[in-house]
Amino acid sequence: MNASELQPVVQFLTSTAPFDTLPDDTIRHCAKSVIVGYYSKASGFVKFDADAPKLYLVRSGAFEVRDPEGVLVDRVAEGEFFGFSTLLSGEKVVNRVAILEDSLVYHLPQALFDQLRSESRHFDKFFTRAFAKRLRHEARFKAKDLTTTSRISTLMSSSPIMIDAHASVTQAALLMRNSRVSSLLVTDNHKLVGILTDKDLRNRVLAAGLDGRIAVHQAMTTSPISISSNALIFEAMLLMSEHNIHHLPIIDDQNTDEVKAIGMVTSTDILRGQGSQPLLLIGEIERQRDLASLISVSKQIPLLLQNLISADARAEEIGRVLTSVTDALTRRLIVLNQQILGEAPMAFCWLAFGSQGRQDQAACSDQDNGLLVAEEMDDYAKGYFDALTHAVCAGLDQCGYAFCPGNIMAQNPKWRMSLKAWQQVFEKWVVTPEPKALMHASIFFDMRSVFGPQSLFNALQDKVLAQTKDNDIFLAGLTGNSLIESPPLGFFRKFVLERDGSEVKGIDLKHKGNALINDIARVYALSAGIKEVNTAKRIRALMDANILNRKDALNLADAHEFIAHMRLSNQGYQHTQGLKISNYLLPGHLSSLVRHQLRDAFKVVHDAQSGMKMKFMRSF
Amino acid sequence: MGPWWVNAKLRWRALRCQHELFKDYYQSLLPLLDLPISRAPLMAMDLEMTGLDPLNDQILSIGLVPIENGTIPLGSAQQKLVQIQGSVGQSATIHGILDNHLTEAVSIEEAMAWFVSQTRGHILVAHHSPLDCRFLQQDILSIYHQAIVIPAIDTLLLEKHRLLREHSVLKEGSLRLGACRERYGLPIYGAHSALTDALACGELLLAQVASMGGAEELKVGELLAYSS
Repeated sequence: MNASELQPVVQFLTSTAPFDTLPDDTIRHCAKSVIVGYYSKASGFVKFDADAPKLYLVRSGAFEVRDPEGVLVDRVAEGEFFGFSTLLSGEKVVNRVAILEDSLVYHLPQALFDQLRSESRHFDKFFTRAFAKRLRHEARFKAKDLTTTSRISTLMSSSPIMIDAHASVTQAALLMRNSRVSSLLVTDNHKLVGILTDKDLRNRVLAAGLDGRIAVHQAMTTSPISISSNALIFEAMLLMSEHNIHHLPIIDDQNTDEVKAIGMVTSTDILRGQGSQPLLLIGEIERQRDLASLISVSKQIPLLLQNLISADARAEEIGRVLTSVTDALTRRLIVLNQQILGEAPMAFCWLAFGSQGRQDQAACSDQDNGLLVAEEMDDYAKGYFDALTHAVCAGLDQCGYAFCPGNIMAQNPKWRMSLKAWQQVFEKWVVTPEPKALMHASIFFDMRSVFGPQSLFNALQDKVLAQTKDNDIFLAGLTGNSLIESPPLGFFRKFVLERDGSEVKGIDLKHKGNALINDIARVYALSAGIKEVNTAKRIRALMDANILNRKDALNLADAHEFIAHMRLSNQGYQHTQGLKISNYLLPGHLSSLVRHQLRDAFKVVHDAQSGMKMKFMRSF
Repeated sequence: MGPWWVNAKLRWRALRCQHELFKDYYQSLLPLLDLPISRAPLMAMDLEMTGLDPLNDQILSIGLVPIENGTIPLGSAQQKLVQIQGSVGQSATIHGILDNHLTEAVSIEEAMAWFVSQTRGHILVAHHSPLDCRFLQQDILSIYHQAIVIPAIDTLLLEKHRLLREHSVLKEGSLRLGACRERYGLPIYGAHSALTDALACGELLLAQVASMGGAEELKVGELLAYSS
């Protein structure tokens, strides 16, 4: 420790983004350039010195930033900043900063700020709000292959059964019987010293004519081959086949000087992990011959989701993978039920709406589906499709896809129609866009066929798009609807800050994030007659067609991916903690950088909403 | 005692002092008494010692953190470690300074010369200043053979006056630096060193001044009067 170093200041900077990415020397240099100031609530507003603009980093206390019109721009507390827009633009301060609480603030001079920006790309991007690039450079958004990149820790049993080396073999056998395991980890003073398996009991105890009174350490395999919890599943498989072993203790890689076991993986665990690979799972679904076995196969879907999340797959890919599984399950249910009911009296398409339509299903998705039949149904056809749809929807429900609370399902006769009737229903929504009906109907515009002749589906989709394209009244209605919700402003301490200044405990990442981006992409896609329904693909198509400019499109796509990723990893966290799976994220769990990134992502959504409002609601 | 009395005492000492160095030291402080805190050069200070007895214990380190224009420029914060006779012994458990840290330490003679030159023209600020000042006076007496009185703003006494004015009951430990800071919502600082504590004391003064009416309103002399 340098005698003249101010540890608390250095520590604070080290834990605050974006300083946390700077080298230690630079942080120490920053700490020495800090000027500490105190702002009393009684003095009302921060007085800015126009001649010496600086970065204000809040060390304790709170401020509120409002623009000249008095609109709340931000609320900042410990670890957050204000004053940087002036530093970046060189223009004079226009926002007013009210002092909400007595506050201690670190001032950093402009010269240092400029120097840090020029020395560190990361620091520069953080403040120039080049969020798009920053998000895209995040390593976790790279596509990854599951088998090769999943961590072994996702498979292991986290509470391995252990026994002390000095216990008797009989005690060990009893423990193995009672816990129904084929192997035990043997410890001495909490240190892993060996492994005892069924095979050891057979070969080293019974076959050697010994009895159960000998100590475990006499029968065990000493210094077993083990692997760190940080290793990849792939590496564990290699190790096991190399040494021809079936049990692999997992050791804590945090503590290298002492071998401490934290789990165990068996070859069975690895096989089971492989079974949840999407392709294998879909293959398995296609092989099942009855509902009961489909239900049991579908039990692997939550595990698949967990594996995908822990493998850090892209959120968009996870949505597509999970939706492919749902599609396969739906198709298999239709085929199995047709084997019972006989061939359909006419061609039909099974329509998927909402998240299944958009291919962005996550955990605990509801059903949103409908049936499109080629012609008007006679009584026989009505009876046939009634039986088929009820069986398929009930099957989906039993496989974990709950019935739609809004009853948008093929088993509801209202959503089981001929091509002509569907076209009329869509026409009615487009021609007389009443807000309430539209809110409901937006689900239907994210439409895909998962079973049936593509030509039949195309006949419906082409008609719908022809009606929505350049239809100002309809698009204004749809836009107005999607503007009812707005993304939050960001975070304030442990709370989420809404645009009206109120605070809520958690943020609904689905309804205040991804749903809004879905809405934006839908409005633009319908306005341009684009067939894609997946949000990421819609955005890409809009960019290619020059309807969205490249920068806005990339920002929106990144924000969509980032928020979806946060939602999934939050659900993964909830799952591992045994909490109820929800879309709610508590900001307390987020690192300083992720908080800023999420705030940036919400800003992108907000800006895109404003852009959409300008484009589609100008004349209304 | 009012500010006029603080002023009168300092004037009298400046007049009477025979030692050139300290005569100058006193005189450098005189023009500061009428300045508002927002414009006065102050110096927050903290000492680490081997014990609490100025006659038998020794100074281990001195931290100085200036306060200028009502703000604290950290670039000018300094700390000196001081060589001592014998070992730091048991006191190491309190301040964390070990014998081997003292290799970069200066002699007490150098430390005192540095202290006098650095604090000249600054009003000292300390938490429980009488203790620190007695140690300094003792060392100055033995090195320069000059008995002096060092005026200092005492953040502990400022806090005590405030709490008594509010008719609060003074609980055990309620006047410790950390406890005082907590009342103003100031951050908790870990690992104590003379430098960190001097900064902590300086920040506390800014908070106290703000709650007493602001750095524009309060004058140095008033705070010194409160501190005695």
